[in-house]
Amino acid sequence: MSTLHVLSHSPFSDQRLSSCLRLMGHDDAILLSGDAVYALAPGSEPWASLSSAGVAVFALAEDARARALPGNPAVELLDYPGFVELTLAYDKVNSWL
Amino acid sequence: MKFAIAVYSPAHSPASRRALLFAQAVLAQGHQLLRVFFYQDGVHTASSNVVTAQDESDTAAQWRAFIIEHQVDAVVCIAAALRRGVLNEEEARRYQRPAANLTEPWQLSGLGQLHEAAQQADRLVSFGGH
Amino acid sequence: MAKSMLIISRQAPWAGPAAREALDIALAGGAYDLPVSMLFLDDGVYQLADAQAPDAVQQKNLAANLQALPLFGVDELFVCAASLARRGLSHAALALAAQTQTDEQLRELLPRFDLVVTL
Repeated sequence: MSTLHVLSHSPFSDQRLSSCLRLMGHDDAILLSGDAVYALAPGSEPWASLSSAGVAVFALAEDARARALPGNPAVELLDYPGFVELTLAYDKVNSWL
Repeated sequence: MKFAIAVYSPAHSPASRRALLFAQAVLAQGHQLLRVFFYQDGVHTASSNVVTAQDESDTAAQWRAFIIEHQVDAVVCIAAALRRGVLNEEEARRYQRPAANLTEPWQLSGLGQLHEAAQQADRLVSFGGH
Repeated sequence: MAKSMLIISRQAPWAGPAAREALDIALAGGAYDLPVSMLFLDDGVYQLADAQAPDAVQQKNLAANLQALPLFGVDELFVCAASLARRGLSHAALALAAQTQTDEQLRELLPRFDLVVTL
């Protein structure tokens, strides 16, 4: 059973991203929302961990835009209809509250 | 498809706004929303006493409007609510508190409602933290 | 057939009500005869540490609630080995019987469940 992991905390101040990466399987995916989109900062340590994890990475478009994060061809930006569809593409959704 | 949503943070949190927008998208795409369950600090969403600054988005009011318009089953965990001072008339009387601040359309109930929704839905999506 | 749920508890015992409220979800699930398991991860492993004296800070001792888990049918308790090691906690010194899991075992654990909630 595949899992969509949803993160919403900044990876710089918080352990959730690193714990998530430890527990994820290769069929899983990550959706970055809220401050978790800071993980998209190019050249950053979180981005290095995320991009080398070998899992699909998505982000909420509004959060990336709000924080003026540059576009990234490896990361699909989603609106809310896309978010809803994404939850159906994986067997379950695990939000790191 | 059937969705259940759980909200763990208060209305002024970005997570609550995301939960609401997600809930709206669920319905807009023709899916069913079985229940929205409010737990931990999410119970504050149901407080009638939230006063939002004029220059801020009133997510609590938006939740209320959404729940009423779409007749959503909006359940607030009673144990979490009591701990945080969110009480309906009955609980205010029971605990002899001066004010009730939870009214329709919100319902107080137990965690069983979260489990029931999780069992019946195709997806349980939770929002909380920040 | 009932859907199985894994509750991942990540908060230290007295970091606000989160640890207690995660346990309450597990106990409620057990009370309804639902297949619920718990994983203690990150600071959540502190909930299992032995010889704690929460009354020193006027906090509730969660041990009683934790010990109730098997009584409610929640008898699969897991604890992250890496989280324990990082905090200098030994598996042998835990207050409750929980199965330690390596990262690799944890990667295989999540797919087994229909639902996962991480608090």
